[in-house]
Amino acid sequence: MTAPVRLSDFENAIADALPEGALLDELMAKGLPHRRVEAWKWTDLKTVLSRFPAEAGEVILHASREPDAVAKLEREPSMIMPRLAAALGGDCAVYELADGETLNLDFIGSATGHRIVSVTVPAGVEAVLHESYQGGKGSFANIAVNITVAEGAKLTRVIEQNAMPNSALVVTSGLSLGPEASVEQTTLGFGAKLARLETHVLHSGEGAKLSMNGAYVLGEGLHLDQTSNVRHAGPNGETDELFKGAVAKGGRGVFQGKIHVERAAQKTDAQMQHRGLLMDAGAEIDAKPELEIYADDVICAHGNAFGAIDEDALFYMRQRGLDEASARAMLTCSFLAEPIEKMNHEGLREALLERLTDRLETL
Amino acid sequence: MLEIKDLAARVETEEGDGRQILKGVTLTAPKGEVHAVMGPNGCGKSTLSYILSGRDGYEITGGGATLVGADLLDMDPEERAANGVFLSFQYPVEIPGVPTLTFVKEALNAQRRARGEDEVTAPVFMKQAREAAAKLGISNEMLKRPVNVGFSGGEKKRMEIFQALMLEPKLLILDETDSGLDIDALKVVAEGVNALRSPERSMLVITHYQRLLDYLKPDVVHVMADGKIQATGGPELAHELEREGYDKYVGAAA
Ligand SMILES: Nc1ncnc2c1ncn2[C@@H]1O[C@H](COP(=O)(O)OP(=O)(O)O)[C@@H](O)[C@H]1O
Ligand SMILES: [Mg+2]
Repeated sequence: MTAPVRLSDFENAIADALPEGALLDELMAKGLPHRRVEAWKWTDLKTVLSRFPAEAGEVILHASREPDAVAKLEREPSMIMPRLAAALGGDCAVYELADGETLNLDFIGSATGHRIVSVTVPAGVEAVLHESYQGGKGSFANIAVNITVAEGAKLTRVIEQNAMPNSALVVTSGLSLGPEASVEQTTLGFGAKLARLETHVLHSGEGAKLSMNGAYVLGEGLHLDQTSNVRHAGPNGETDELFKGAVAKGGRGVFQGKIHVERAAQKTDAQMQHRGLLMDAGAEIDAKPELEIYADDVICAHGNAFGAIDEDALFYMRQRGLDEASARAMLTCSFLAEPIEKMNHEGLREALLERLTDRLETL
Repeated sequence: MLEIKDLAARVETEEGDGRQILKGVTLTAPKGEVHAVMGPNGCGKSTLSYILSGRDGYEITGGGATLVGADLLDMDPEERAANGVFLSFQYPVEIPGVPTLTFVKEALNAQRRARGEDEVTAPVFMKQAREAAAKLGISNEMLKRPVNVGFSGGEKKRMEIFQALMLEPKLLILDETDSGLDIDALKVVAEGVNALRSPERSMLVITHYQRLLDYLKPDVVHVMADGKIQATGGPELAHELEREGYDKYVGAAA
């Protein structure tokens, strides 16, 4: 047993809001996740938040429609951040998507707030879930998103995480994929003072398909942690992940990707790639891709690579007349576009590509 | 007109010690003329073309180079391009994700903006591109592919000439444009280069074979060895090199 950690004013304020019980005890004993917790080693939430104002606020949610229900959560989450979101974020807004529907959920942090939403895609339904995250100065938003994609249903999930240099954000998503369900998730992230997008996916049934991709651009003072854990419990599942990021001086990207294939998940095809572009000296990217495989008849691979802008390509482009900044932006943009270009939804794809180009121009 | 005078330059080696590659190159290529620069491997031909076009990693230790009176060596690569320098690379670089046509249009308009000219409109650009591509047997599909990605050696060289036709430089430097080409590809490329001959343009054709020169018919031939122009003459000089090799010049330098 390690000695209990010292809680900051920020943590004490959260503790004060919690009822007696296991969650409070855990918070008192361990505090918020910090860099000595393996899963958070590159994202020191405790330390960053200890410098935030301990002021209670809320996560404002602008949704494109009313929820179908507002209810207590049926099953308590297991990890501390979504547990806090469930305990302090009020009742859960529940959305059941209709065929052809696009649901927009815009989350805006103001001071310290928590939220929990749940989205269900019923069997055979095809729908789009479009989330965006932003936050006011000094805000910390802790959000949990539970998504259930039923048998044969198809979900396109798009996550836009806006640049928020003075806020912190933790989004913990859990996706459960039924048999033959298919999810195409694309994230475009620009970082925050501290941002963590943590995604847990369970292939519970047979033959589910997950395409999970993301691009990130992190300027000075911006951090983004994309942590994912994909578990194949049913056979014949497919997972295809491609994450690419470009980080400028003073920015920090974190990629922790894990794919876990259970013994029953034979014929799983799982691929995970992460590519980082260090735009200047003083940029940082930390990555930890992991495969854990207990089935013997599977195709699994992962890769991780870092690089800088190709100086030969840069010279070639300048020789043809492009100025250095444009040439760099063009090379960076073409590097980052790949995960976004995998999107099937043309309108959303073009919109994300445009946002990416705009961001690179103002970096 | 391109004027290179006593140009001397060092390259920074990985060991950190500079090495003198150019030891006083002097050469004048008036507009309208095609000048061949021939020399054995390693004599500094590519280095000369990189220094003229502004690549990093060289230290100029003496002399200079001007194009139509403008001092080239003080300019950034993109300024040189806008002033009319075009280098057809010995090894054209692949640029994944950037379609060739998009790239050439951006480059052309960047040059035009730098010169204070209006940008070309899409229809005018497309018409020009179709004509240039037709001269070189380049298909529409090839123009949409990312710059140099997945092209054979010969196709890359054709794409370089295509870009030169589109960008209409005042100085065209061809660095070993003939290397790695079979005879048919060589003919296509040579026709493209001949189409680029113009009373307003200087051309520097770097090669170490006679082959390409049979088609291009240079006005002047320079022999380079050991970082210097060792001899200058007419087309007959190329034939002499073909018969006798570079021994005499390499010997002279040693
Ligand atoms: N970046 C470099 N570092 C070290 N040596 C170099 C570098 N570039 C060229 N050289 C050397 O300079 C000489 C001339 O090279 P290069 O100009 O490529 O010759 P050529 O094109 O005539 O074959 C060669 O000996 C080559 O090894
Ligand atoms: Mg060479």
